[in-house]
Amino acid sequence: MNKVGFILKDYLVLLMILGLALVTAIIQPKFMSPANLNNIMRQFGPLILVALGMTFVIVGGFIDLSVAGTINLVAVVTITLIDPLGQVGALVAGLVIGSICGAINAGLILTSGATTQAEALFITFGMSTVYSSLALIYSGGSTFHFWDLKEMPNMFEAIGAGSVGPLSVSFVIFLGALALLWIFHTKMAAGRAISLTGGNKTAARLSGVPIERSIVLIYTIAGFMAALGAIVLFSRVTTASPVIGAGFETNAILAVVVGGTTLKGGKGSVLRTVMGVLLVILLNNCLNLLGVSSYMQWAARGAILVFAIWLDNRKEVQGNQL
Amino acid sequence: MDTAGSEIILSIREVTKSFPGVRALNGVSIDVRRGMVHGVVGENGAGKSTLMKILSGVYKKDTGTIVFDGKTIDHTTPYESMHRGLAIIYQELNLVNSMSVGENIFLGRFKEMKGMRGTHAKARELLDSIGCKVSTTKLVSELSVSTKQMVEISKALSFQSKLIIMDEPSTSLTGEEMSLLVKIIHQLKAQGISIIYISHKLEEIFDFCDVVTVMRDGNVIDTKPRGEFTRDELITKMVGRTIENEYPERSRQVGETLMEVKGINTRKLHDVSFTLRKGEILGLVGLVGAGRTETVRAIFGADRVRGHKVTIGGKPVTIHNPKQAKDAGLGLIPEDRKLQGLVLPFSVEQNISMASIDRFTRFGFLIKSLEKGIGARHVKSLGIKTPNTKVAIKNLSGGNQQKCIVGRWMEIGPSIFIMDEPTKGIDVGAKYEIYLLMKEIAEKGGAVILISSELPEVLNMSNRVLTIYDGRITGEFDPEHIPADVIMRAALGLGGAS
Amino acid sequence: MNNLYRLFTQQKAIVAIAVILLVMVAAGGDVSRIFFSSYNLLDMLDSSTILVILGLGVTLTVIAGGCDLSIGGILVVSGILSIQLQNFMPMPLALVLAVLFGTLVGFFNGFLVVQQKTEPFIITLGVGLLLTGVAQQLSDAHPVPANNPDFMNISNGYQFGDGQFTEGHFPGIPNLVIIMLICFVFFAWLIRYTSFGRNLYAIGGDYDVARYSGINVVANKWMTLVISGTMAALGGVLLSSKLNTGSAIYGDFTALVVNCGVVVGGTSFAGGVGGIWQSVLGLLLFGLLDNAMNVLNIPSWYQMMLKGTVIVAILWMDSYTQKRKRELV
Repeated sequence: MNKVGFILKDYLVLLMILGLALVTAIIQPKFMSPANLNNIMRQFGPLILVALGMTFVIVGGFIDLSVAGTINLVAVVTITLIDPLGQVGALVAGLVIGSICGAINAGLILTSGATTQAEALFITFGMSTVYSSLALIYSGGSTFHFWDLKEMPNMFEAIGAGSVGPLSVSFVIFLGALALLWIFHTKMAAGRAISLTGGNKTAARLSGVPIERSIVLIYTIAGFMAALGAIVLFSRVTTASPVIGAGFETNAILAVVVGGTTLKGGKGSVLRTVMGVLLVILLNNCLNLLGVSSYMQWAARGAILVFAIWLDNRKEVQGNQL
Repeated sequence: MDTAGSEIILSIREVTKSFPGVRALNGVSIDVRRGMVHGVVGENGAGKSTLMKILSGVYKKDTGTIVFDGKTIDHTTPYESMHRGLAIIYQELNLVNSMSVGENIFLGRFKEMKGMRGTHAKARELLDSIGCKVSTTKLVSELSVSTKQMVEISKALSFQSKLIIMDEPSTSLTGEEMSLLVKIIHQLKAQGISIIYISHKLEEIFDFCDVVTVMRDGNVIDTKPRGEFTRDELITKMVGRTIENEYPERSRQVGETLMEVKGINTRKLHDVSFTLRKGEILGLVGLVGAGRTETVRAIFGADRVRGHKVTIGGKPVTIHNPKQAKDAGLGLIPEDRKLQGLVLPFSVEQNISMASIDRFTRFGFLIKSLEKGIGARHVKSLGIKTPNTKVAIKNLSGGNQQKCIVGRWMEIGPSIFIMDEPTKGIDVGAKYEIYLLMKEIAEKGGAVILISSELPEVLNMSNRVLTIYDGRITGEFDPEHIPADVIMRAALGLGGAS
Repeated sequence: MNNLYRLFTQQKAIVAIAVILLVMVAAGGDVSRIFFSSYNLLDMLDSSTILVILGLGVTLTVIAGGCDLSIGGILVVSGILSIQLQNFMPMPLALVLAVLFGTLVGFFNGFLVVQQKTEPFIITLGVGLLLTGVAQQLSDAHPVPANNPDFMNISNGYQFGDGQFTEGHFPGIPNLVIIMLICFVFFAWLIRYTSFGRNLYAIGGDYDVARYSGINVVANKWMTLVISGTMAALGGVLLSSKLNTGSAIYGDFTALVVNCGVVVGGTSFAGGVGGIWQSVLGLLLFGLLDNAMNVLNIPSWYQMMLKGTVIVAILWMDSYTQKRKRELV
């Protein structure tokens, strides 16, 4: 009986949201329309990419609240570099910038000797401000549009709205990233090192697992994925504003936690995060169709985050009752 | 000293206490009388601290009766215990470092003392009564250990304690500070307060204790007035035991020098140097806190220690972190397997393989079949009881968990295997298996450094024993031919023959 | 040299304030004159007061070993409520309810953190986010204007003067500052002269020792969050009064700034140290920083960056000094 309860808790949030979807489908038949389902698939892009990166940080036993700032910065810088550097050059530059932002985070955490998630939380929160302000300064507060450029950036347009066969380009990018990250996490030594670091840092250290390298990796990946997400995002909407990243960190963390990856670190997977993002998007979609205002949606997400964290905590407390 | 006359303040009868896999107290009975200083001696693991923790309410006894000041005590909390008049001063000291002396004495009783003024005034009184001059507003973090003890004693006095337990109080005291403590003890005695004095320092026991109890392996061996004991008798009773076939025969193929360590200096350790030979099991014997774990952690690169030199096989090696230690051929089974050794939510297989990831990695990719092989191999060779290698390691028993950690390092096959309390909390059967393993490692040309709080274990398994006292190496012995008493003496800092 | 290092890390706030003051003196000319004018100093005090009011509550939570990141969310919701509720009830009642909202949230936080033993940093962050959404909902993402001159007067009225800044004329002290001073005195007394206050130091200093000494660690820690929530709500009401509008935008950064200011002043996240004076000093530093940057005409985004950098630097220092204390790796 206890075991059933345990499993139920694991999937409680999943059941809740599926339940909500069911209710929505009943109340609003529009929910099942191909247009709506397509809409849902479209929304996958930026958030899932950021959340995949966030997964690594959390599995490694830390957290990253700076992704919003990174997204802001990468968005405005990349779009302005399209003319001088060409599309590919700008793309690469954007990804590099995001990775550097992540590496800076890791550097600060390592040099300060911070070992707890709380310390990382505050430092990355602070860096978010720094990156966001850099975005504002760089852009002068203005928003950049595709049509301001010398010529329409066809590659970015493709990323935003193009298709490869039946799938959208952004979906393909997502699949590619997912595959690579999953392989990295489950099949590569560096990925295993990250899981061990989050599982028990002391035991990992004493076993010769490269802790410092893992910390640098998790934040760099998070920064890289945030950059990738930023690129898909502004390609979608064909504009880049210095506040385009607002709210991404919360949604990303929510997706990871709702997907079942524990905040304590060690255990977790990118696949779970995919499910978590799906649930978050589903949640937003349902609330939209049910006519709930966007602000209440924000509040609802906050409430679910609190609930999911609480639930996660209970699981750990009970699970370690040796 | 007439001990028979005064009344009994504390009566312990047939108290037992077991922890998973270990019987800490085996029907212990002691009577403590009013106004007496009652010494308790025994080596590590004798059961002294378990008994004290039961008295003060941190642990709960399994069976037996305890009567204090006329009242039967069943289950109590540290708080209740203090209020009843039973105070305990731990080795680790129960003070809040960031607060002042006065506030610590009256922690949680601010209102009772009518605020800061009352707190400091009464604290001043108490400190003066034992001749301690420290200012009541000074922060505890700035005090010496000796002064901290006085603060704790004042705290005990503030509860009108009738019995004060002192657990190894003299460990960090200078001679002068010790005299002060003795003076205070006599003062307390004169006030009719009883003292239970736990110590390894036999001079102290013989100096001011009225009655002495010797404990060993969770039993009380003897309780007599101090005058009726001789020093030798005391030591013998502390260590003596019949040696059964608990241990395999020692391997005797000790060869040339494998590792040399020179000059480890830290806050705790002073110029620790020693050699390790091929094929030998080297035991480190010492009291808790003497510096055994610090020594091995320094060698293994687990702590930030610099300045010492390590040579292996004649060549100098740099070991600044565990990875370098691994590469140099060292392995470490840490003291606390739960906190430092196991990744609880992970599988048996992953726990075993985590130190040898390089071995099943090709071009950065993990070869799962190889990893599985590693897991299966060690489960088999070590006899680890688990339904399969994929279960989470937290589901295994302590003994099997420990074997997994051993297996983790066996995979690397270090030439120098450091084991810090390898058989703690493990059943007898599993223990023997680990002993055989140690022997096997030695016989194959490697070496083992063994730290254990169980003296018989170290003495029976080791080819050579180093005693450490207060951060210094005090002796080197052949446990096969030198009696345990002599070794114990060195570990107690007494050195030389009796 | 060692002493200088000690000074720098332990009295970060004082050193930083000294630096800023020096910079302002060195800037000379108009800048110095404006900065050190009574109008400006009072304005600076004025703008710091909200931070201080929030900081008083947060200080209690940090001393006890936790923190409260939901204060931003509570601030904005209470601020908006204080105005909107006036449409349904007399002002005094509206204000009381707005403040009680904070108390309620604090109680909920306490439940999650203390009773359920959840990590305070992240769960109060979640609650704060939740409330920000609620605030946006209530205000429909527009600033909510207040219509009541009495309401505005709560913060903006002057005592002992008439608020006129003319030559040789003492303008008086703004109500807001007086309220802040009263709260300040109360908390300073609380932390030093009551058993509740002293027990918090014990709990933060060594949780187990406090517990063994019979201190009700659960109830006390819970209480710190209740108080913190209440103060955040009070701050929200006063801020709305001061600006005469309630808005949802002030929440995000505030939680970080206040928690940070508290740490800067010397109340470390490690717990068991610090106090009201220290926290206030740290928060005044931020107020000073803001003001100085304004007087120096630094563009707002550069201000944001500078502030973010200062915050990261402070947190980095806090972790670094903790690391040195922990010798093991």
